Amino acid sequence: MIFNVEYIQIAAFLGAGLCVGIGAITTGIGSGIIAGEGAYGIVKQPKANEQIFRTMLIGQAAAQTAGIFALVISMLLIYGITFDAAGGWYKAAAYLSAGLAMGLGSIGPSLGAGYAGAQACKSVARMPKHGNTIMTNMLIGQALSQTSAIFALVIAFLLMFSVPNQPEGIGVGKMLVKSLAFIGAGLSIGLGTLGPGTGIGFVAGKACDMLGRFPNEKSKIMRTMFLGAAVSESTAIYSLVVAFLLIFAIK
Amino acid sequence: MELTLAQGIAKAAALLGAGLCMGMGALGPGVGEGFVAGKACEGIARSPENASLITRTMLVGQAVSESTGIYSLVIALLLIFAVKI
Repeated sequence: MIFNVEYIQIAAFLGAGLCVGIGAITTGIGSGIIAGEGAYGIVKQPKANEQIFRTMLIGQAAAQTAGIFALVISMLLIYGITFDAAGGWYKAAAYLSAGLAMGLGSIGPSLGAGYAGAQACKSVARMPKHGNTIMTNMLIGQALSQTSAIFALVIAFLLMFSVPNQPEGIGVGKMLVKSLAFIGAGLSIGLGTLGPGTGIGFVAGKACDMLGRFPNEKSKIMRTMFLGAAVSESTAIYSLVVAFLLIFAIK
Repeated sequence: MELTLAQGIAKAAALLGAGLCMGMGALGPGVGEGFVAGKACEGIARSPENASLITRTMLVGQAVSESTGIYSLVIALLLIFAVKI
């Protein structure tokens, strides 16, 4: 079968577009709800406007992280790889899959970080005296929710840079198996981070909300947040394991 | 061992299925467990004296919610390793 280098380029450029396109959906939504709660908080508590504004900006920056990961992967797919026809369908599938992994993988974490940031803004407006505690808790929660985006980033990098060229004279059956295994790896981690990212963001948001109502229960609230977030993270780790197996264990 | 086209398609579909299975299967438990933990945070803040009871309920609830994630993992592993073509 004649293989043109354009097939790899088609896959990589399609992956790049999907990556930043899908990744931007909830990055925008998350930052938007933080800004909305921040603006509403300033209406309710105009004296604390500086503190609320600071919380809003830091929260938005953390919510943008996954979107920036998607942008990086997208840029690398366009400019950072050299296209070679020797790569064959293996490389084409891996590049498309890398884009899908990071694009889908940034939906959940951004949404979660957005919810956490919005609740933190609301909370700071309610109790500006404990603003620093709430902001610290918000950042920890957002970092927990972004871990699954980092899993997606790792898989995207592996798919881009560790997939071998398609061996010469290989059968169509073998080629299909390996190529679809790479696509499966991207979908596994991409979709698999959606739930944990959102869930951990919800935990962090509730914890921020409650820190603004009952600041004296700080240690108990944070302990529950860590425990709950760790259990919720487990499904993202299963997805990571399945993605690793699909990349490396398929002969 | 060289696969025929039909065998290749079958095996490839099993692997793609494994990826989709684990990816979508992780969606529900992740959101659900996060919701449980969020509500537990709220409950503990409102009545800190019942902290141990609430934590216990949270963990039991999350374990039940986790089961579908584990089903997905089992099916994904079976699709990767146990499908003989």
